[in-house]
Amino acid sequence: MTVAHHPTEATLAAFAAGTLDEGRMLVVAAHLAACPDCRKTVRLLEATGGVMLDDLSPADLAADGLARAMAQIDRSDAAPVAPRRAEVIPGLLPAHQALLAPYDMGPWRWVGPGVSWRQVDAPTLPGGRVFLLKAAAGTALPDHTHTGTELTCVLTGAFRHEHGRYGPGDVDEADDDVDHTPVVEAGSECICLVAMQGRLKLNGLLGKVLQPFVRL
Amino acid sequence: MLVRTDIPVQTPAAGAAAALWPMERPAGPLRPGGRMATIARATGSVRDHDGLIEAIAARGDREAFKALFAHFAPRVKAFLMKSGTAPDLAEELAQETLVTVWRKAALFDPAKAGAAAWIFAIARNLRIDAARRQRREMLHAMAEEPEPELAAPPDQDMEAGERQVRVRAALDHLPGEQRRIVELSFFEGRAHGDIAGLLDIPLGTVKSRLRLAMNRMRTLLGDLT
Repeated sequence: MTVAHHPTEATLAAFAAGTLDEGRMLVVAAHLAACPDCRKTVRLLEATGGVMLDDLSPADLAADGLARAMAQIDRSDAAPVAPRRAEVIPGLLPAHQALLAPYDMGPWRWVGPGVSWRQVDAPTLPGGRVFLLKAAAGTALPDHTHTGTELTCVLTGAFRHEHGRYGPGDVDEADDDVDHTPVVEAGSECICLVAMQGRLKLNGLLGKVLQPFVRL
Repeated sequence: MLVRTDIPVQTPAAGAAAALWPMERPAGPLRPGGRMATIARATGSVRDHDGLIEAIAARGDREAFKALFAHFAPRVKAFLMKSGTAPDLAEELAQETLVTVWRKAALFDPAKAGAAAWIFAIARNLRIDAARRQRREMLHAMAEEPEPELAAPPDQDMEAGERQVRVRAALDHLPGEQRRIVELSFFEGRAHGDIAGLLDIPLGTVKSRLRLAMNRMRTLLGDLT
C-alpha cells in the first residue's frame, strides 16, 4: 500500500508527545499502521523524548517510593487479561481492527444518499466527535466546509477531491479554510475514520436540502 | 487524585493509549546518558541502563531494578509534573512506570530501543491512560476493559550507543527558539495553540519552527531511524 498523504509535522509531534486528544490520536495511529515513513518520524521523536527525559533534573520522590514499587513487583502476577470480543468490520486491515476494538461504537446511521456514519466512543475535545464515515462507490459527497478542524484517515476504499486521491492509510487534515467536494472512487465503498471539531457546513443546493438531515 | 489501589498495574501497555502506538517498543536510539550516567560510566560503578533492563528480564534482578528506579523514577516524576500532572499522581505514575519496566522487561530489545526512549514512551502512555481514567471515572464508575495490543512491527537494528550520542548532539545543535518549542511540546503537554500564547508568537510560527526543528533532526539523524 502506498501512502501519499501524511499528517502534518505538528500533528505527528503532538502525537509523539502525547498531547493530542484521543480522537485525533486514534486517526494518526490508523495512519501510522500503514505508513513506515511516519513511524520512523515518531520513533525519532520518541528518541528525542528519551534524551530529554534523561537530561531532566530529578524530582524528589516520596521516601517510601522505592519500597512501594518493590512491593508491587513482588505481588503475584495477575492472570492474563482476556481479549475483548470486538465486532469485525469487513474490509479493514487487521491493524485497524485492533485499533478500533477497544472502543464502543454506535449503529450505522444514514446521513444522506449512499452515506452513513457510526459514532466511535473515543474521548475527544469538547465540541468534537470521532466517527466512521462510509460512502458507497461513486458517491459524491456534498460540497462542504467545516466550522472547525477535521482529521481523516481512509481505512478502506478511496476518495478524490481537489488535493488528490486518498486511499487506505492516507490522511486528510482540513481546517475551516478548506472547501472540498470529495468523490468516492468507483469499484468499492470507502470507510474513513474521522476526528472532527465543530460541524460540517454543506454548500450548494443539495447541501441546503440535506443539511436538516445531516447531524454531522 | 486517583485512588489506584483497586486498579491492577499489570496491563498499562494493554490500555488504549498503548494500543494507539503501533510500536510496542519505542525504538528510540538511546542509551543511558545525562550527567549521572556520564559520571557513572566514568567511575564504572553503575552498569548501563539497557543492561539493567536486560538483567531484570533475564533473572528478575532486584538490584538492577533499584538502580534503574533511582535514575529514572525521579526523572519520570519531573517529566509528568512538567506536563501538568499533580505531584501525588506524578509520584504514583512514576512508580507505576518503573513497575511496568519490571513487568515488561522481556519485551525490551536494546538493539531496537534505548532504555530512555522506552521508558519515556511508557510514562507518556501511562499519563494518557491516567487522564482518560480520571475522565471516565468521573462520568461513570466503570471498570476499564482489557484491550488488545498490536504486534510490534519489525524495526531496523541500530547501534544504540552511537545514536544516543547523535540524538543528543542534534538536539544541542537546534537553534534555541526551535529547541524551546520541542521542549514545550514534549514536556509541558501543551497544545501548539498554548505554546503560541505562551511565547506570544503566531500559531503558524510555532508550527514552522517545529517543522524546521524536525527537518534538521531528520537530516542529521535520518540514517539512524
